[in-house]
Amino acid sequence: MTTLIKNIIRFCIILLIQVLILNKVTLQWWAQPSGFPVFIPYLYPLFILLLPFETPVVLLLIAGFLCGLTVDSFMNTAGIHAFATVLIAYFRINVLNALMPKNLTEYSGQTPSVKNMGWLPFIVYVSFLIVLHHAAFFTIELWSLSNIGYLLLKIFASASTSVLLIIAYVLLFTRQTGTGKSQRIL
Amino acid sequence: MRNFILFIRRFFNLIFFLLLEVICVALIARTNTLQGDDIMSSANMLMGTMYKQRNDVAYYFALRRMNDSLVRENAELREQLADHGETDVLYDSAATVPVTFTDSGVAVKYADYVYRTARVINNSVGAVNNYITLNRGAKDGVRKNMSVISANGAVGRIVNTSAHFSTAISVLSKKQQVSAKLKDGTIGYISWDGKDPSRLQMRDVPNQIKVRKGDTVYTTEYSFFPANVPVGIVYKTTLIRSKNLQVLYLHPTANFRNLQYVYIVENKMAKERARLEEAAKEDDK
Repeated sequence: MTTLIKNIIRFCIILLIQVLILNKVTLQWWAQPSGFPVFIPYLYPLFILLLPFETPVVLLLIAGFLCGLTVDSFMNTAGIHAFATVLIAYFRINVLNALMPKNLTEYSGQTPSVKNMGWLPFIVYVSFLIVLHHAAFFTIELWSLSNIGYLLLKIFASASTSVLLIIAYVLLFTRQTGTGKSQRIL
Repeated sequence: MRNFILFIRRFFNLIFFLLLEVICVALIARTNTLQGDDIMSSANMLMGTMYKQRNDVAYYFALRRMNDSLVRENAELREQLADHGETDVLYDSAATVPVTFTDSGVAVKYADYVYRTARVINNSVGAVNNYITLNRGAKDGVRKNMSVISANGAVGRIVNTSAHFSTAISVLSKKQQVSAKLKDGTIGYISWDGKDPSRLQMRDVPNQIKVRKGDTVYTTEYSFFPANVPVGIVYKTTLIRSKNLQVLYLHPTANFRNLQYVYIVENKMAKERARLEEAAKEDDK
């Protein structure tokens, strides 16, 4: 399977999970103290996070823009998801450069994964960009900083749930072989 | 010129990034008002069909609850019918203005409603502005600005239609306020602060008006909703001493978390009324 087809299939799967299942799941941690934020976990930025190392920034930006616009049209939020996704598509390369020991051009044909990066760098990479995405998204959606505690709470709750889901996705679509090697399926 | 090209080449990524973000900001700014909702919506063919497929699966599991609510609504409607059964409409027209009176010489015909049933195929409560996608569209006669109510209470307003689907902006939305009145006729506005889907607010109610817990708040004739549709039930009141006003906190009567069937209400007189009100505004200028 070529990288392109693989990524297109992954795009469809992640988007279907997001739109058909997660958008329907409206979470509220500890429902009792009234005023605790209600939120939806966002899995779809994972598509941008799992593109190959050597993807040029321009392609990343276009992919992020299209991905964001698709989610936008499902959720009636023209532009907000696209804004946040383009933002993480642009900063992805900086985060990867900071976390990887070698120059990114040396990892040809590889994608960011637990196998290629190790658990800790991968989780740092995912959480940083997810928090960035959620911070941008919820700030624009709420459109006021008057209630900053509530905003931070919402970002924290939603981002941590999203990161957990992303780890679940990564574990689910990785095949463990007998010799201890693991291989990403999608 | 050469320097300029070099500059562009060097910072192409940054420029492209900023360009895309500016496009996004333009889209956001365009839709930040109530009027701009048509630019992008889940009422189009692809999104609508996908939502419908999903709803067909989930639909089955909600049948029992839906049956219960339909039976309850039937009982309520029968009760109302019994109330009106013995009223002589002609005689009591001052007290209960019949809404579908054909002879405008006797009673003023100010509203004529058409109810269409629709199924909710997508629905959210977690965003700051929440939208509902319905499985009726322009081909079924649904137009912009019709109101949407459920068996229990007010739900929202149609903002966008395609051939077979339509989207409505729900009462749970920062963008729109709903004109509402208390039992004694005090009029105010109901708004949502974008946080808790089970808490609406009614601000600026004069302090001397006695409001009890459990009082119902209804829609008024002023809004796009038909009058006297319940919106919420008061569960808390807070006093603002400096302004001598009180804020009422309401639980919405419609259950937004599991909406299944709704009515799209068309007011046949709405156009005429809007035209008249526009004309009055023009005269003022």
